[in-house]
Amino acid sequence: MSQSGVPSSRLARKIRDLLPQMLIMLGVALLVYFVVVTTRENLAQLGVQSGFEFLHKEAGFAIAQTLIPYTEGSSILRAFCVALLNTLLLAVVSIGLASLFGLGIGIMRLSSNWLVAKLGLIYVEIFRNIPVLLQIFFWYFVVLRSLPGFADSFTFAGFVLNNRGLYFPTLQIDDWSALFSGGWHLVVPHPGRFEYEGGFALMPEFLALALGLSMYNASYIGEITRSGFLAVARGQYEAASALGLSGYVIFRRITFPQALRVMIPPLSTVYMNIFKATSLAAAIAYPDIVSVFVGTVNNLVGQPIEIMLLTLATYAAVSFAIAWAMNSYNRRIQIQERGE
Amino acid sequence: MMANQGALHWMRRNLFSTPFNSILTLLSVTALVALIIPLLQWAVFDAAWRGTDPESCRVASGACWPFVRVRFDQFMYGLYPLAERWRVDLGVGVGFLLAGMMLWPRFPGKFWIGLSLLTVYPVAAIILFGGGLFGLVPVSTNAWGGFFLTLVVSTFVLTLSLPFGVLLALGRQSKLPLVRFLAVGWIEFWRAVPVLVLLFVVIIMFPLFMPPGFEVDKLLRALIALTILMSCYIAEAVRGALQSLPRGQYEAAEALGLSYPQAMLRVILPQALTLSVPQITSIFIGLFKETTVLLIIGFFDLLGMVQTASTDPRWMSASTVATGYLFAALFFWVCCFAMSRYSARLETKYRQTR
Repeated sequence: MSQSGVPSSRLARKIRDLLPQMLIMLGVALLVYFVVVTTRENLAQLGVQSGFEFLHKEAGFAIAQTLIPYTEGSSILRAFCVALLNTLLLAVVSIGLASLFGLGIGIMRLSSNWLVAKLGLIYVEIFRNIPVLLQIFFWYFVVLRSLPGFADSFTFAGFVLNNRGLYFPTLQIDDWSALFSGGWHLVVPHPGRFEYEGGFALMPEFLALALGLSMYNASYIGEITRSGFLAVARGQYEAASALGLSGYVIFRRITFPQALRVMIPPLSTVYMNIFKATSLAAAIAYPDIVSVFVGTVNNLVGQPIEIMLLTLATYAAVSFAIAWAMNSYNRRIQIQERGE
Repeated sequence: MMANQGALHWMRRNLFSTPFNSILTLLSVTALVALIIPLLQWAVFDAAWRGTDPESCRVASGACWPFVRVRFDQFMYGLYPLAERWRVDLGVGVGFLLAGMMLWPRFPGKFWIGLSLLTVYPVAAIILFGGGLFGLVPVSTNAWGGFFLTLVVSTFVLTLSLPFGVLLALGRQSKLPLVRFLAVGWIEFWRAVPVLVLLFVVIIMFPLFMPPGFEVDKLLRALIALTILMSCYIAEAVRGALQSLPRGQYEAAEALGLSYPQAMLRVILPQALTLSVPQITSIFIGLFKETTVLLIIGFFDLLGMVQTASTDPRWMSASTVATGYLFAALFFWVCCFAMSRYSARLETKYRQTR
């Protein structure tokens, strides 16, 4: 960027650009130095320990939902893994449900049926304009609280739903070597003394979060789906119908794959948003990373710097992983031009 | 007769064109009726409307509107002292007036109104709300709450993040590799982190970064956290607009002999900012909804106030909680819907003029 109007040589420009960069570097370094020194002084004054040794201490607290074996005697590191898995489970289920609902809403909005298209629009406008936390509270404090208690649970084909949660039958594998010759049995939830036992239970907090996150984000995915399908040239559909393909085959083989190309980049943003929004779990005490780690563990150990750094790094790592996965998928399905 | 025929024709074309469409129409009507009738029954016909005490809700089987009426002032002002609420009314009223002038097409003197909205107004409003100067009784930020807090937080964060967002966007476009690297790293990192985690980080860690005896108000810390995040989002919106400007604009500015700041301030940014208004509006809507997470870290915004009020043992019942949520949902919905309509209108307007 020549300021004087006199053309300057490349070298002179490089040297001129070097100065402000060095000043900025110096400024950043000074700021970091200042923050590190004051933080160290403050921590020393408060008598706070540093380092990550606390991860190997005994946790000593219970967690309401554990996907891997965990007891109060397990280490804090194990508690962290339990919380991370809880976050990931919530994210995966919410992303899956949101995609499913969103695809449905997007297709509804494109329907030639006036009423169906309007219903899709109403869904989008209602759910998009209400804070997701309010929707989660609605599911948790209004809908799930009014489910029947233990004695009057809804049961259907081994599934049980009551105000303690949703119980699934699970497959228990007794002998891996005899997997196909009866080395497994089905564990069906059955009424115990106070609650259903056996199988796998999803706690009401999980259900409220999954419902809230997926229905809120389905409104965004619905709009993404709609614009994706609108971007597919009309001739594609017409040519496919002229070939005599059925409606489902046209959708599956012609329009959907082309719409998906347009949908992937904005979808990746929504998926990242859903993953980040799982942290709202802290509002209703679902044991995710924020409530277990930033909440319980931080109160227990009192080493905020390490705990915050680890939390930030974990969220950033998973977010970047989602972005990376969506990007590589995107690159794979884009049209490959000749010579590329 | 003609109109009737028109309606029949319309229905045949849009609702019953094929057997499959007819089934869909009938299913939709059934679903709609099954949803709307019980909702209306609960929220309107079976609801308690009169009275000001919990007793009036016990006799009704539907919604409990007296709860909203009794608590309305708290939903709006939080725990702001009763005698000082005129300050909130005045400050918010002037803000709405100025913003209205800005949004009104062809209102004279927009530059000066905009400048005062971004500079003089925030300072004046903070003094008015917080007090402690000019004989105003100090009101601690702990007492700020309700819709007032939602408004204060979202507008202040937007005002603060605009300049930082523009700087970050310019940094990302900079020719200096170090500046570009720092801007990209900063933006991408914070965009990968949940707002709640960032709030915890700033609220817990900020005091540790500061020299002893230097205390920052908790609400201010929350504002800093939200500003860090929002400026990254705004930076991305502005960057998109910067990239969509024709290359000739940059070249023409340079050919005129304008310096970098001159070219940016007089040629590039005015166009880029105008182009990014619809996207910044949708970022603002997101921020407006996102202020509800403040209740997790102990502030009582509109939703937080509803949440606290519904745990009051005198009122506690399933229908009271639901009524509170319905009120908050309607309130947020009206605000967000109006803003998104405005942004959509601007977008079509720009598309036509380009």
